[in-house]
Amino acid sequence: MSNSSINRLYPYVFMAPALVIMALALLYPLGYMVYGSFRDWDPSQALGESTFVGLKNYYTLWNDPNFRESVAVTLKFALSVVTIEMVIGVGLALLLDRKLRGMSMLRTLFILPMMIAPVVVGLVWRYMYHPTIGIFNKTLKSIGLEPIDWLGQNALTSVIIADIWQWTPFIFILALAALQSLPRSALEAARIDGATGWQQIVHIKLPLMMPVLIVTCLLRLIDAFKVLEVILVMTEGGPGLSTEILALRISRTATEFRELGVAAAMSNYLLIMLLVLTVCMLAYNRWMEYRAARAMRVAAEIG
Amino acid sequence: MSNTIAKRQHPGFYAIVVMLIIMAVGPIAIMLINSFKLDVDITSGTGGLIFMPTIQNYETALCDILPYELDHLDYCALKFGGAFINSLVIAIVSTVLTLIIGCMAAYALVRFKFMGRDTASATTLMVRMVPPAVLLVPVFGLWNNEFCLDKDGLIGGFIRETFGGRGDVCLAGTHSGIILVYIAMNLPFVIWILQSFIVQVPRQLEEAARMDGAGPFQVFFKVVLPLIKPGLAAAAIFTFRIAWNEYLLASALSDRDTKTVPILIVNNMSEFNVEWGVIMATGMLLAIPPIIFTLFASRQIITGMTAGAVKG
Amino acid sequence: MFKFTKTLASIAVTSALLIGQAVAGPYDEFAGTTLIVNFPAHPHYDAVRKILPEFTKETGIEVEVDQLPYLKMRERQTLELAQEEGDYDLIAYVVFSKADYVYADQLENLARYYMNPKLADPNYDADDLIDGYVYNIGFAGGNKGYLQGKTGSLFGIPYGSETSILGYRKDIFEKHGLSVPETYDEMLEIACKIPELEPGMGGLSSRAASGHHASHAFLLHLAPLGGRVFDDSWNPIVNNEAGVQAANALKTIVDCGPEGAASFGFGEALGSFLAGDTAMFLDTTVVAGQIDDPSKSKVVGKVGWAMHPMGTRRGSQTGGFGIGIPKNAENKDAAFLLMQWLTSKKGDKMVAMAGGNPSRFSTHADEEVNAKFPHMKTFGEALQHADPDWRPIIPVWGKINADLGTTLSKVLTEDLDIQEALDGVAERTKAVMDEAGYYTWSQ
Repeated sequence: MSNSSINRLYPYVFMAPALVIMALALLYPLGYMVYGSFRDWDPSQALGESTFVGLKNYYTLWNDPNFRESVAVTLKFALSVVTIEMVIGVGLALLLDRKLRGMSMLRTLFILPMMIAPVVVGLVWRYMYHPTIGIFNKTLKSIGLEPIDWLGQNALTSVIIADIWQWTPFIFILALAALQSLPRSALEAARIDGATGWQQIVHIKLPLMMPVLIVTCLLRLIDAFKVLEVILVMTEGGPGLSTEILALRISRTATEFRELGVAAAMSNYLLIMLLVLTVCMLAYNRWMEYRAARAMRVAAEIG
Repeated sequence: MSNTIAKRQHPGFYAIVVMLIIMAVGPIAIMLINSFKLDVDITSGTGGLIFMPTIQNYETALCDILPYELDHLDYCALKFGGAFINSLVIAIVSTVLTLIIGCMAAYALVRFKFMGRDTASATTLMVRMVPPAVLLVPVFGLWNNEFCLDKDGLIGGFIRETFGGRGDVCLAGTHSGIILVYIAMNLPFVIWILQSFIVQVPRQLEEAARMDGAGPFQVFFKVVLPLIKPGLAAAAIFTFRIAWNEYLLASALSDRDTKTVPILIVNNMSEFNVEWGVIMATGMLLAIPPIIFTLFASRQIITGMTAGAVKG
Repeated sequence: MFKFTKTLASIAVTSALLIGQAVAGPYDEFAGTTLIVNFPAHPHYDAVRKILPEFTKETGIEVEVDQLPYLKMRERQTLELAQEEGDYDLIAYVVFSKADYVYADQLENLARYYMNPKLADPNYDADDLIDGYVYNIGFAGGNKGYLQGKTGSLFGIPYGSETSILGYRKDIFEKHGLSVPETYDEMLEIACKIPELEPGMGGLSSRAASGHHASHAFLLHLAPLGGRVFDDSWNPIVNNEAGVQAANALKTIVDCGPEGAASFGFGEALGSFLAGDTAMFLDTTVVAGQIDDPSKSKVVGKVGWAMHPMGTRRGSQTGGFGIGIPKNAENKDAAFLLMQWLTSKKGDKMVAMAGGNPSRFSTHADEEVNAKFPHMKTFGEALQHADPDWRPIIPVWGKINADLGTTLSKVLTEDLDIQEALDGVAERTKAVMDEAGYYTWSQ
């Protein structure tokens, strides 16, 4: 009898360290942040010494054109990065889903960009984008074209390109894995029915990959909101606010403008934004699954 | 049945593959090459590959741990060696701890039907959503002001006495402070990945071990752990990668003795003097461990990535 | 253990001295102490690190340097100074930090130390320190709250301070028969002529990147063109005629500047001058050392120096760093001794010879220094026009500066209308100032 009660305790023992750490270093800080976002808080004060200002920080931010621009930049960056990477990544996967020699070698080299530190990625690209000594402008000049002001007037595009370089492989590899785990029978059947390559992709491969693709897309989207170091090293958010994504603005508000309360409120806005996005995508995923299940059931009933 | 006959691929495909490889590796190669150039050669803009290779940049970077004096330096400004050791300590300790703690939690979630697996993965995903920048403000405040021991207290006094330093003993500025954040940041992902591996461990093996009188801990360490080694490897690489590469939180929490390499690199992009050669050398040194992992364990990495998303 | 041996050694030295001289020297009491100092990554402080071993040799006081990029340094200090007991014994601070630190009562008032006969060196000659620098960097509590004046007192000593100067390529100017610009009009005209005369070369390289860089570049032109950020009752006047003129000057300079000038930080701007891609450089005196360093510069020996051109008045910037002692430091007296040693006539000359920026008149006039760095004489002249009030040093400045910098960057890259942009800055600045209480007395 006592043995079974010990057995019932074990799961809690196994879970305890993880729960303690998550509570201490993740949940408590998040609560602390929400609390701090209602206060006028300077880095030289402890939170207790700061004064309560209610919703002022949220209100100020809502009316702050710089914050709004930063939100716009963040959304622009995340959405374009994810869209382009999905298209290229899935496209490459469909194109290269065949028995090529050296495929595993290709995948290995492809992982490299996402394994090395974002700080390093940033500095390499900053060097390559350099107006005079960078490889892009040197190449352009040597073939007689006008050099491009990469990190000046086209900063956001340049930053997006760097991110695409780093993260397209992620989608490519996941899409490839999904493709290769598709039921061969369905593809075989389609081929026997005389479907062209294009028809196979649109009507069979893509729909079957969809659940994986949605998760992949969601993961990338979440990560796109986390990007900070690459941009910090490449442009520090400039010129103007053209590449100042929210993560960067939070860090600047906290350290450069010394307004921890405002930074906390900004963090909260970012978190809410991400939460809404995630819930939407998860709900969509559920709905798709539900529809697929119903279709199966209907098909089974008819059959 | 034309499929069974090894069909030659169109040469165009090989062209695409070669191009992709160049694009993936090119920037890293550029960094490697430039790290062996003097600044004068980098900025002069003449010939990309024709130069005298030199290891001077690496010497400058590693000046604090080289056994000999350098002629081209008046004093050693970059404490790269120290930062490298800090990075190693922080990355390795946080990886090991994350794995142990994460593994146990994942096991409990799967085997003891603790929560529904769906709830667990949804929570994991939610937590994974939190960007490090969001943690910046609270972690900065807590680690500096709240998670402290009074310097006159028992433990605090002991620490000050043994390790020196001034003021109250706070988590900020210590290795453990940074490690704690990294564990918390990585746990959800590790739990998520390991779950999908633990599910595949046949229950019968565990039952058999239990029949032989093994307790739950023994079952876990002797039966389950060895079977999920590939999963552990994948999780280890991902955790290490984040702990090794992270900049923002480390820079808010470290003091002059606990700086990690990414902080050093960002600091060294000083506006007065962009020394490209040395920066490239430090970047290369920082990139070496991940590159080694990639070359030798790409299979595990891919397993980890796909396990997280495909099976999730 | 190591520390212990050192202490022993220093006791031995001390007692030897005691026997020899009967009276202990000023440094003996502190021999063996280790000072922890926080310096910026900056050419001047690179030079300081070269002379620090000399200090240790002379005094027996060890110095451990924590060198950080200056914005990072400021973040670090914000945190350190707020603690009850801090790590740093001596800090170098950016000029605009003066307001924050003094207002938060985090810096030692130096009177106590200069009054202490055991610490203050009678041969220090404080009058030799450059007035503009001391007023700008060291004083607080006087005029406008942040300058010298009857109510002011000293909280730091300028060290690694700088003023603005015009560097030009002698060879290029000679080749095209150009004369060195004396006024803003001449300078702008030449700046835009250069790209025509020398294809591929930019006129003048200036910093312009978003944020602090753009703001700095703008203020650099604002003072000589007769403008100010605030009038005497703290109303923002950046958007008046002089302000528009200064922004126009900046835009012209960037438009006629080298490739990619709009995204240049200080490093890139200097880099392009060093690489020979621009004909002129108008910024801090700090760069002189690097221009003569063949491992960094392709223009060694080709650069001439002239005063910051005149608009309606002469007014070069004052900036850079000062050194001060934090209130929460452990070894304040020893820190003062280091500070005094560094800024003494001897220390100032040593650091100048090592490539730093002297902060004394006598060093600028010193023959040996001038023989090694011929430009030092021009720099000394420029100093007489250094304007301590070219930029306000008030606690809210960080915020205004960031706004000004990002707005100007938009002007440069997105073709925002200048008047409209500056009006916006003035309006937001007014709100910031109002909230900070600057209009309390004018209501």
